[in-house]
Amino acid sequence: MEKVIEVKNLEKSYKKKKTKELVKAVDGVSFDVYRGEILGLLGPNGAGKTTTIKSICGLLKPNGGSVHINGFDSNKQRLKAVNYISAVLEGNRNIYWRLTVRENMEYFAGNRGISKKEIQGKIDELLNFFNLKQKEDELVSSLSRGMQQKLAIAVALLPDTDVVLLDEPTLGLDVETSYEVRSLLKRIVEEHGKTIIVSTHDMPVVQEVCDRTVIINGGKVVADEKVEDLIKLFETRAYCFTIGDELTNQQVTAIENHFPIVEINDKQINVTLEKEDDLYIIMDILKSEQTNIEKIDRTTVDFEQVFMQLVRGGDQHETTVASH
Amino acid sequence: MKQLWHLINANLRKEYIELKRYFPNTITMILQFYFIFLAMLLGIHVIGDPQQVETNVQYVIVNYVIWFFMLTILQSLGFVILFEAQRGTLEQLFMTPLGMWRVLFGRIISNLLIFGILVTVLLVLSMLTAGEWLVFRIDVVLPVFLITTIGVIGVGYMLSGLAIIFKQIQSVLNVLQFILMGLAFVPLSVAPYLVFAPFVKGIDMIRLVMIHSYTWNDFTALDYSALILNSIFYLVFGIFIYLKSERFAMERGLLSQY
Repeated sequence: MEKVIEVKNLEKSYKKKKTKELVKAVDGVSFDVYRGEILGLLGPNGAGKTTTIKSICGLLKPNGGSVHINGFDSNKQRLKAVNYISAVLEGNRNIYWRLTVRENMEYFAGNRGISKKEIQGKIDELLNFFNLKQKEDELVSSLSRGMQQKLAIAVALLPDTDVVLLDEPTLGLDVETSYEVRSLLKRIVEEHGKTIIVSTHDMPVVQEVCDRTVIINGGKVVADEKVEDLIKLFETRAYCFTIGDELTNQQVTAIENHFPIVEINDKQINVTLEKEDDLYIIMDILKSEQTNIEKIDRTTVDFEQVFMQLVRGGDQHETTVASH
Repeated sequence: MKQLWHLINANLRKEYIELKRYFPNTITMILQFYFIFLAMLLGIHVIGDPQQVETNVQYVIVNYVIWFFMLTILQSLGFVILFEAQRGTLEQLFMTPLGMWRVLFGRIISNLLIFGILVTVLLVLSMLTAGEWLVFRIDVVLPVFLITTIGVIGVGYMLSGLAIIFKQIQSVLNVLQFILMGLAFVPLSVAPYLVFAPFVKGIDMIRLVMIHSYTWNDFTALDYSALILNSIFYLVFGIFIYLKSERFAMERGLLSQY
């Protein structure tokens, strides 16, 4: 597959205002984006997602590493790189509320040097695609949030860029509109041949729409996998032990020391194993106090659980998962 | 070049649409300037030496119009950054492959054209109402004015650069009107060192044409050189400062902060 974006060892530090202490927002982030895919960029608040996104757009200069879009360095050749990428960074705030739908589209196209006459066909096509044709002469301020969001995405699709970057495209939308936006994203890739990067906290977006996901935590990439592979990987490792007796304090400590992702409730132990051998280790811990094992089940996981486990697991998972 | 034309066109359309859409605001502004011009044309008669009424009227009107123009351009460039940052559209504007400084250029040209037409029409209307006519040579004033404007644009870029880094510069932009007033109203004969300040040479030359009926031949080569060099210097320096500020803001992650 052809690489469209190459993020290599990206580093960015900020100075804290009060203490002047240097904080690493992004610490050696690397991943690639391939033509025609939808990549989900995930991470908890403060993980370094926004820093990564803004570095890709060339709006932030990194301290180290590089971002190349179609071979152009987004830091050193920003204006050339920006030719291949468009973005919706602030959702419905990215458009002018006092202009109409069509006026917004004409203005942003003009700002990229495209003539009003030349862009009319594309505007009509996108208005139909996003079901906004009937609203084209209405002020953006009078539209619903969902429509404003769709317009912001439509504006990003106006120029002939290869990549569209969407920051939280479903934030604040109701279930129905969120569903509509998700299906539109798939259609954008299929019908417009775009590559999409979606930064989101919305797990259904990732599970339904994204081909691959890059999870960032603490400024580092902790997973770079196909969504289904990630779920499978965790499904094969997630076990639920139902026990007949209460665990002793020593057993709890031993389990918690060995397994960073573990949840002990009354007579149930939900644990994610790192290696195949781990199963024997937990059995040994239970056997050491003659704990009665009633049942061992494989747990089914959804993407939200996978995400939580990766983020909670932090650095321990970084090498294991990212190397797959 | 074609792309720049489309960009200027888009910004001109946007400014025009917004003027139309905020119609009550626009009308208030038009009336405000009409009455200010009218008051100046009529009111100067009762102020100062009656022997010098003509000169007084010309002096005040010329200075006021130039001051208003400079202020509009400079404040529009500074406020553009602030308003766009508040609205959430600033980073979106930065995503143009033509560069943000060209977007700002588009906004300046739009403001110049719109306010240029507006002020000219209002001035003619108020002269018609007052029966007082400013007589000057447009063939001399216009080129000098346009060259002076180039320097003003440069200073506007400096302000935009400052606005990108320090978003809360409204107070600076407000103080600016008084600084500009000083630069626009003080003649070079009183403070010759101001020749190095932005646009003072141009304003002085316009004043000489409009009040003392200077022609092309009355100015020396040194006058023209000072005018052109001053404007070019401030334009180049202004864009340089703007680009440096833009880079600084991108290094510190200040673009979207407000």
